[in-house]
Amino acid sequence: MTEGALSRPSLKVLVADENPKRGYALLETLRADDSLEVLTVPPGMALIEAVRLHGPDVVLVDMERADRDALDSIRALSGSALERPVALFVDEDDVELMETAFDTGICSYNVVDAPPRDVKPLLRAAIALYTRFHRTRNELTEAQRILAERSMIEQAKRCFMKNEKASEPQAYRWLQRRAMQTSSRIAVVAADYLALQRKDNAS
Amino acid sequence: MTVAVRIGVLKLADSAPVIMARQQGLFAQYGLEAEIVVSPSWANIADGLAWNRLDAAVMFAPLAMMTALGRRGPDTMLRPLGRVSRGGNTIMLRGSAPVRAVWQAGLAGRQAFDVWRAALGRKPRLAVVHMYSTHLLILRRFLESIEVEMEKETDLCVMPPTDMIHALSEKTIDGCCVGPPWGTEAELLGLAFQVGGSATVLPNHIEKILVTSGKFSLDEDVVHRVSRAVEDALSFCQQPEQAENIARILALPVSEGGLTLPVGATRAILPGGGANDVITFTGGSLQLSDLDWIMKDMMVLGWLEEAGRKTLTRLFGSGAAETTHA
Repeated sequence: MTEGALSRPSLKVLVADENPKRGYALLETLRADDSLEVLTVPPGMALIEAVRLHGPDVVLVDMERADRDALDSIRALSGSALERPVALFVDEDDVELMETAFDTGICSYNVVDAPPRDVKPLLRAAIALYTRFHRTRNELTEAQRILAERSMIEQAKRCFMKNEKASEPQAYRWLQRRAMQTSSRIAVVAADYLALQRKDNAS
Repeated sequence: MTVAVRIGVLKLADSAPVIMARQQGLFAQYGLEAEIVVSPSWANIADGLAWNRLDAAVMFAPLAMMTALGRRGPDTMLRPLGRVSRGGNTIMLRGSAPVRAVWQAGLAGRQAFDVWRAALGRKPRLAVVHMYSTHLLILRRFLESIEVEMEKETDLCVMPPTDMIHALSEKTIDGCCVGPPWGTEAELLGLAFQVGGSATVLPNHIEKILVTSGKFSLDEDVVHRVSRAVEDALSFCQQPEQAENIARILALPVSEGGLTLPVGATRAILPGGGANDVITFTGGSLQLSDLDWIMKDMMVLGWLEEAGRKTLTRLFGSGAAETTHA
């Protein structure tokens, strides 16, 4: 820990992410900074209850959480048990940061009167992590799509081989030729061929 | 030239005009390619408008007003395009109903409340969908009419409408004021009974409005096209003979263009349905007379002071012909 960090009061951060893997990764990232006290929302607990329980300075919220509305309007709650104000962290000078945060699906609330100094680095860390997860998810979706297409092409080949008493290379060449003739991808030709077979079998 | 437009809605039956405008090809007719963003919370809608991730949205007027004033997040350029719906909110309580009807104002209502609370055995915990909602204002007026002080005699909480069904069944809330069709759904499931609602508290009150934000709101041609498409959809949705079809579309999964709403409850609250509080889909420009009661209540609750009221009158008044900015 640096001397500066020692003299700095600890910042309480509550992480509210229902995605366990991503939430854990964000916690690990933030816990690496020992000037932060990092807290989570216990399973089954509403976000607002967790804020009441922990009294954080900052809340980092996954925007897919529907109970964000409770935090959004805490100021209007008459007789609220939560005496400290909650405000959406808004940085007028850094619109790009806020838009990026929104795009990646995270937002930040202050739970103290004055915005804490260190919100921006926290938000940036969260954005980086969310972006990584988003990319990984996209890569996974793409890998699953490729696998599904390969499986469909294999199925269409087997079906063609059986129907036409053809070999595997002949079946594949037929799919390739058909794809060229119709300016389609082989996977699309395979899907059409299988759909036609199902229709024929049903009639 | 086709223009892309992103419109935010929640899983509520009064989002129907936007859903049906797409389903009926009305956006396309006006040269619009509409992306409908079904949002998990009102905060997402307000942030979407603020951070240029939505071009327009269906929302209740108090939240639109507080957003335009910069009182819930960033100061946001908002322009009300017009009315979407009137009424449709229901006040539901769980437990045993002391009377088999909506509660009467005055002493009779107070007595019914006391009997219900005694059976409940605790200070009632009532939910609304957002603090800056017409639901809170309607609930407060209802409680006032039966001589119950909302702030002192109930605990208020905020939760999404879709969560209220579960919360009623788990008894984590004792009642709610909620938008269509969720109150009717709670009743059909035997989880709650209706004691009041829009029709009894403030008949024909303005409920949802269509707002636009940012650069989008400055393009008169595009704004006009969006307004026309939604106006056409409002006329379509107001026809009772379309209600079956609309309920069926709204019941579809989001991926198939619907909102996953319960079909029976949705049919009951659409025009021509059998519920106490049916929605009235209504078009035309938003008028100050639509907002008078909202601003009055917001001032009573301390959300708004005289200067804020004047600003809102300028921003949302006169059919809001000009783009508004706090």
